[in-house]
Amino acid sequence: MRHQFISSFAVSTVLFAGVAAAQTDPIKIGVVTPLSGTYAGIGQQVKWGLDLATKEINAAGGIAGRKVELIYEDEEANPAVAVQKAEKLLQVNKVDFLTGTVNSGSTLAVGQVAERNNRLAATTVSFADSITADKCSPNMFRVNARAGMQSAALAEWLSKTNPNANVFYLGPDYEMGRSTVAAFKSAAEAKGAKTVGEVFAPLDNKDYSPFFGQIRGARPNVIYTSVAGNDTVRLMTQMAEFGVNRNLQVLGASGTVTSQNIAAIGKAAEGFVTGVGYSASIDNDANKKFVSDFETAYKAQPDLYGADSYGLMYFYKAAVEKAKSTETDKVRDAMRGIQWSTPQGVKTMRAGDHQAMQDMYAVQVKDGKFSIVGKVNAEAAIGPDTCAKF
Amino acid sequence: MRESYLISISKKISAVQLLAILFFGLSCVFAIIAIVASDVFFLRLATEAMIFGGLALSVDLLLGITGLLPLGQALFFGFGAYASALILKNWTTSIWIVLLISTLFSALMGGLAGLIAIRSKGVYFALISFGLAQVVSKVVFNSRDLGASDGIIGVPNAEILPGLTSGDPAVFFSFTILFILFLYAGLNYLLATPYGRQLIAIKTNEHRVAFLGFNTWRYKLSAFVLAASIAGVSGALYPMLRGFVSPELMFFQVSGNAIINVIVGGTGTLIGPLYGSALLTGIRSVVGSFTPHHQLVIGVLFMAVVILLPRGIIGYLAPLLDSWRSRKRNAKIQEADHG
Amino acid sequence: MIDALEWLQYVLAPQVINGASIGVAVVLMALGLTIIFGLLDVINMAHGEFYAIGAYAAVVLIGMGMPFWWALALTPVLMAVVGYITERSLIQRVFHSKDRHTLTLLLTFGLGIVLEDVLKIIFGANPLRIETPIGGAVEMLGLFFPNYRLFVMGLGTLIVAAVWILIFRTKIGAIVRAAAFDRHMTASLGVPVNKVYALTFALGVALAGIAGVLLAPIYSVFPTMGRDFVLIAFSVVIIGGMGSIKGAVIAGLLLTQIQSISSLYISPVWSDPLLFGCMVLVLMWRPQGLFGRLGHA
Repeated sequence: MRHQFISSFAVSTVLFAGVAAAQTDPIKIGVVTPLSGTYAGIGQQVKWGLDLATKEINAAGGIAGRKVELIYEDEEANPAVAVQKAEKLLQVNKVDFLTGTVNSGSTLAVGQVAERNNRLAATTVSFADSITADKCSPNMFRVNARAGMQSAALAEWLSKTNPNANVFYLGPDYEMGRSTVAAFKSAAEAKGAKTVGEVFAPLDNKDYSPFFGQIRGARPNVIYTSVAGNDTVRLMTQMAEFGVNRNLQVLGASGTVTSQNIAAIGKAAEGFVTGVGYSASIDNDANKKFVSDFETAYKAQPDLYGADSYGLMYFYKAAVEKAKSTETDKVRDAMRGIQWSTPQGVKTMRAGDHQAMQDMYAVQVKDGKFSIVGKVNAEAAIGPDTCAKF
Repeated sequence: MRESYLISISKKISAVQLLAILFFGLSCVFAIIAIVASDVFFLRLATEAMIFGGLALSVDLLLGITGLLPLGQALFFGFGAYASALILKNWTTSIWIVLLISTLFSALMGGLAGLIAIRSKGVYFALISFGLAQVVSKVVFNSRDLGASDGIIGVPNAEILPGLTSGDPAVFFSFTILFILFLYAGLNYLLATPYGRQLIAIKTNEHRVAFLGFNTWRYKLSAFVLAASIAGVSGALYPMLRGFVSPELMFFQVSGNAIINVIVGGTGTLIGPLYGSALLTGIRSVVGSFTPHHQLVIGVLFMAVVILLPRGIIGYLAPLLDSWRSRKRNAKIQEADHG
Repeated sequence: MIDALEWLQYVLAPQVINGASIGVAVVLMALGLTIIFGLLDVINMAHGEFYAIGAYAAVVLIGMGMPFWWALALTPVLMAVVGYITERSLIQRVFHSKDRHTLTLLLTFGLGIVLEDVLKIIFGANPLRIETPIGGAVEMLGLFFPNYRLFVMGLGTLIVAAVWILIFRTKIGAIVRAAAFDRHMTASLGVPVNKVYALTFALGVALAGIAGVLLAPIYSVFPTMGRDFVLIAFSVVIIGGMGSIKGAVIAGLLLTQIQSISSLYISPVWSDPLLFGCMVLVLMWRPQGLFGRLGHA
């Protein structure tokens, strides 16, 4: 009798110790993000946001008592590299969760790797609608706003300030450029705007002056553009050079004018309006604290990429604590429909397509900084659930 | 008596061939270790290295053997990859059919491109090859039907034999290494035929070959088509490994990496590019985990090789090995004579 | 009748002038490239990166408080030094091998990769800009054209003319052309041919650098900016004739006009393929380009 008692006690002690050990070793999160190349600036904001949140979470005791460890790999904004690095993180580093991808090609490819390895992933930057629409994946979640939501906020602002505007569209000739223009066009036309012209320049185009004749001839009072990064700097400074932007309201996608290029655009960015899910001037206590912590730690202001990445950690924390586990199926169920606090207020993860719902803002550049000029609430902005895969 | 027989046998295997045997032997050892350790990542990384090794072989066929520098070979790699992805997704998952069609398609594209490119020599050929890749890859980047900038995801695994698919890392690595061995052996054999000799002669002195009455244009075009097919069939293996294709596979970065693999490995040795691809894929992966400035490291390494070791690692090691062996052989003969 | 005039004035003329201003920029880039090939037989795949370094040098100098005009004058001098050092320390090493064309192409290709990453390390990936030194624009006959671009066109033309005079009307130029034509003979006449080579490379790099400074206010500055001009500069050099200054100028202006006017009618995405098509056509009809080679008439 005593023999059995001692041995079963010993066994249960060992089991308990093993389980306890498993419960206290860190939760590893793999971050596949561009740390070199054209998108390195965005990758930097993503890293800052994730690092800040992880520091806070670990200081407060971690997720369900376990510390969080971030492991970074550079994907160079190249899906082929992203896939290789994602697999390394999952197989060799044995991470529980993946995030960090910026361009939609990488996000989709990494989502597929996550599916094949039965793990979950999330993006905090990619705004292509397809990621939570026709190309949705049961293992991919999106905590940032998508193009349709951004367009909704912007179109609303436009219809209020400039009803029946004449809009000219200019974008870079590739999938993202065209689909962003198409998304805004349909939102704007639904609210009464008129399209007076459209032109797509090659990606990385250096000189936009050949198109100014066409633009002038169409006589728009609003121009919408989906260029990004260096292309924006060129387009806007050249428009100012040629006086094209006189008496013209310039609108753009969320990636058009960002903290990475606003300094280089300078005065030419004045008056630019876009629709985004985040602004450093959002007036609530959580955001004020977040912005001040971020600036203290990194000597730079957070932009939407930094803020959404910060929010991602709290999303994951909420889901794991609700599921009381890091097992993929349990966390996925917990994530669907979950609400969590972010500097932008409370977000909800829509179960049908894994798209986060949040209030959207129209922001305008004034004196080199963005300030809020309009707001659309979450339900109005999100648009229909067109994901049919789960 | 017996010693001289052994000596005459060993004379038949050159240093380069020994190094080739070493390469494939080491690959087998690696595979066994990885399978025993139930590894997934390293097997897939090695498979990727071999797939790009195939691309490097195609570059070496042009650069090291025929004397043409192709700066846009990734174009055909991409053609093969896209063809493979489309066939796997929409028609059949039989690996044999996919590889056959990808090869034929790349050969066709190679023929069309070759008609434009082969007319020019040297640096003009390089720039046309570069320009062609730039232009076509941009078109693919913008084609909605080909997935545009997102590429094509959701490519299913290819079936090698009933029950064996490309989804299994060990199975696919073995298949790939055997396939590359087949390509290597084929090219090696080709070099020993009159056709292969012609190509080498063209690299050495094209004018003289023309004076001897041969139509150099036809030889160069056929070499170009063959190289395009090899690049294409290697590319066809990529979506089977990673499950997707994207336009970045055609970009200059890939062509440039292939050239670096060939130069560092050893131009003209055929096995050098395979060594180079294996080595550099490993370096890129490891260095990339430590610093975002891996391009700097690779660039400096590449420049050092071009200046100091222009014949590449194998190009440098093989003659050394050969002379060491012949010294040993002579020593043995001397011993046999005196003994 | 009136419609045609209006079309000429409001549609064609602006496109032609735009094309010309882009053309001068392209010619400056192609000029350095063609001189380097014409004399040294070296394909400089790092030319775009030297252009970028020139722009960054100006950013640094202006950031230190120097006025734009001083930076414009000083940068080519700095770039010439960089070019000279590059030639003596790197290019010379592979110059004497049988595979010179291939090896120098590969070496400069590697150099380009390294330089791009170095720029990224020092300055970061985000774009920078230099304020346009001449503001305002010219408005006449219904045309609107920025003053700075007119200045760039004018200065660019002067620079091209100066280079032409240097190469064809001075003693140094004669030495350079002689060394391009027959290096051994020139050396045996007592000319330090190696120094001539290095100086010529330095000149080519200085031209790229000055293009970088001039264009920085228009096109902004970022580590991969060199790639803007690669395809078009090489196309111009090939079509014009490798080593021909006249060829670079004519081909540069012609090609940019073709691109500018064709953008009125075809989708802009076909602009690069069109350029490439021109290059292929010229190569098939006249493989040495429109005009000959430096020193070889």
